Amino acid sequence: MATAQVDDKYNFDVVRWFTVMAIVYLVVGTLVGVWIASELAWPVLNFDLAELTFGRLRSLHTNAVIFAFGGCTLMATGFYSVQRTSGVGLWSNKLAWFVFWGWNIIIVSAVITLPLGLTSGKEYAELEWPIDILIAVVWLAFSFNFAMTIANRKTSHIYVSNWFFLSMMVMITYLHVVNSLAIPVSLFKSYSIFSGVQDAMIQWWWGHNAVGFYLTAGFLGIMYYFVPKQAGRPIFSYRLSVIHFWALSFGYVWLGAHHLQYTALPDWTGSIGAAVSLAMIIPSWGGAINGMMTLSGAWDKLREDYILRFLIMSLAFYAMSTFEGPVMSSKTVNALSHYTDWTIGHVHSGALGWVAMVAAGALYHMIEKLWNTKMYSAGLVNLHFWLATIGTVVYITAMWVSGIMQGLMWRDYTEFGTLTYTFAESVAAMHPYYAMRAIGGMIYWTGGAVMLYNTIMTIRHASSNPSVQPSTRATAAA
Amino acid sequence: MSEKNPFPNENNSGHIWDNDLRELLNDPPTWWRIGFHASWILVIVYTILYPSWPMLTTHYKGVMGWTAMGEYKEDLQSLEQIRAKYEDQLPGKSAAAIMADDELSNYVMKSAKVLFGDNCAACHGGGGAGNPSYPILADDDWLYGGTANEIITSITNGRKGVMTAHSKSLSTAEIDELANAVMKGEPTSSPLFMTKACFACHGPDGKGISAMGSANLTDGIYRFAEEDQLASIKYTITHGVNDASDPATRNAEMPTFGGSKLSETDIKKLAIYVHKLGGGK
Repeated sequence: MATAQVDDKYNFDVVRWFTVMAIVYLVVGTLVGVWIASELAWPVLNFDLAELTFGRLRSLHTNAVIFAFGGCTLMATGFYSVQRTSGVGLWSNKLAWFVFWGWNIIIVSAVITLPLGLTSGKEYAELEWPIDILIAVVWLAFSFNFAMTIANRKTSHIYVSNWFFLSMMVMITYLHVVNSLAIPVSLFKSYSIFSGVQDAMIQWWWGHNAVGFYLTAGFLGIMYYFVPKQAGRPIFSYRLSVIHFWALSFGYVWLGAHHLQYTALPDWTGSIGAAVSLAMIIPSWGGAINGMMTLSGAWDKLREDYILRFLIMSLAFYAMSTFEGPVMSSKTVNALSHYTDWTIGHVHSGALGWVAMVAAGALYHMIEKLWNTKMYSAGLVNLHFWLATIGTVVYITAMWVSGIMQGLMWRDYTEFGTLTYTFAESVAAMHPYYAMRAIGGMIYWTGGAVMLYNTIMTIRHASSNPSVQPSTRATAAA
Repeated sequence: MSEKNPFPNENNSGHIWDNDLRELLNDPPTWWRIGFHASWILVIVYTILYPSWPMLTTHYKGVMGWTAMGEYKEDLQSLEQIRAKYEDQLPGKSAAAIMADDELSNYVMKSAKVLFGDNCAACHGGGGAGNPSYPILADDDWLYGGTANEIITSITNGRKGVMTAHSKSLSTAEIDELANAVMKGEPTSSPLFMTKACFACHGPDGKGISAMGSANLTDGIYRFAEEDQLASIKYTITHGVNDASDPATRNAEMPTFGGSKLSETDIKKLAIYVHKLGGGK
């Protein structure tokens, strides 16, 4: 088999497993998301069971999509692309399997502990201290294996995708360890060593950089490998890669403070957070145009290559949400947008439109290479693309309307200088948009389910046809 | 890589990865380069305008003199200026005097709408329509009296209903008889009403005593309204209300809103608002 030939050189078995699990977790994580979105529109859906309430399941949703789906995607694409761009197999195949099982044990422990209400109460870092330690160990094993593979490389230079992966690994290790510092009082309860506004600042320093380094730098690493590969075109500009890489790496760590405008956080900290956020628009667009311009001279490929469509659409959403975020972080806009659904909409334009779409494109690309076949149905890839695009647009439009309406209702005054609306009236006004958001999520989830079906059929088809001819590219690489 | 460039006519860097990955030596677009320089200039301008760079014991304050607290106080002041015309008159006037003044009442209704929505509606329902086990405020039936001053007392100090559990002092048959009499709106029709001393709290006519907060048993309005009202009445007689000796007792308690929670003026506004919901006396 062709896969066997490529596997002689590269360790792809572990990559295959990460790839499949990423798609499974995409479906599971977004299903939980659809469920809690529906609970907000129709609260009866929590059935008065504590384990099913929004408060418990919300963190399960975020952990499932960010760390289960996002993590498996980063580990699949990272282990795949680092081997191919270094021209060598993994430094340690065993360590890669340790990462696979370790990461999945972490996911299972999250699925058990979060609905039980065992949480450290830190957003995007809810898991309790024993799991935090396991995350640090597995993450370091992933990073070390990745870095050692680069050290063993047969190429003279380190490819740009690996810069971004490495930047993510360094920063996420640092952020995760500092943010999770806590004093345990029992096996499942600990208290942060920081208190008051310092704790809030550390929390959002982590929170924003989970977005900045994990969901942005890491996924830009994916973009830099898979866009030129799928398009068969060179990266548009090496210089642009260098400048926007360093600008993002040095800039992003300052942004956390913009989550705490108009709070007990000192004014000076918030200003720096806002100023540097606004300065991140252009570096972010650097990545977006570098990916899009890679297609120059090959735009016609979008007509037939549905996988490429995912990659390019993701860059469009990336450019949009990296403009929206800085605008929301400025004090003036933040005064309106903070605590409203606009924030949720912004997060999802990044998460659904950018992260999950670039991931889908990369995963489809890898499935074809890893199983040395074409996708079972190109039509279903296209269907997934449109469901994902429409689902994202419905979702974020609902949240824009709902969020801006909330912000305006909360600050509306009568001619007597008294508040016009009660809080409950603003909640009632949001109901139709909550229903619309749940529907947008359902559309998006359907796309993920189509992807899972298509993947299963592709793999079944590939394994029942051992006579498939080796692809020329796979042979050439071997 | 040192190998020969397989893409010779391309302006690439000469490095090739994974057979065909390569980078062109294009300059970033001009608009992007201008934007990049504008970005760091913006950081400097923004941090000159606003409080920003930290120093050992203080921080740079910014040329605009902006602070978050300053902005908040400025906004609040502009609203308070509009409200002052009315607010200044409220502390010195009784609830009755305010209700006699159309313009002031109008202001109070607008102001108290949100106070009511944020503090009262969670239990008593929007517009005071009530909820199961939470009294309706929009009718003219009052446990503790419906004058503005009585409502002020209820809001300020809270209320806690009291009724003894009768599971030991009354037989099942007796509870049935009393419950049916209450259900008909004629509690006195049962001789047990007098012999078992129900009248001591609910009054000789069964119409309740507002000083005690005991319910009027003749009007068909129920503090503990349930689908099976007869069963609900039996339950209340059996287990009482807030009777610590019975773990299954009814809970009926309104928290205190006086002190640090709401100002005297806000409570006065709320009392007027509730009074005007329909049934003030």
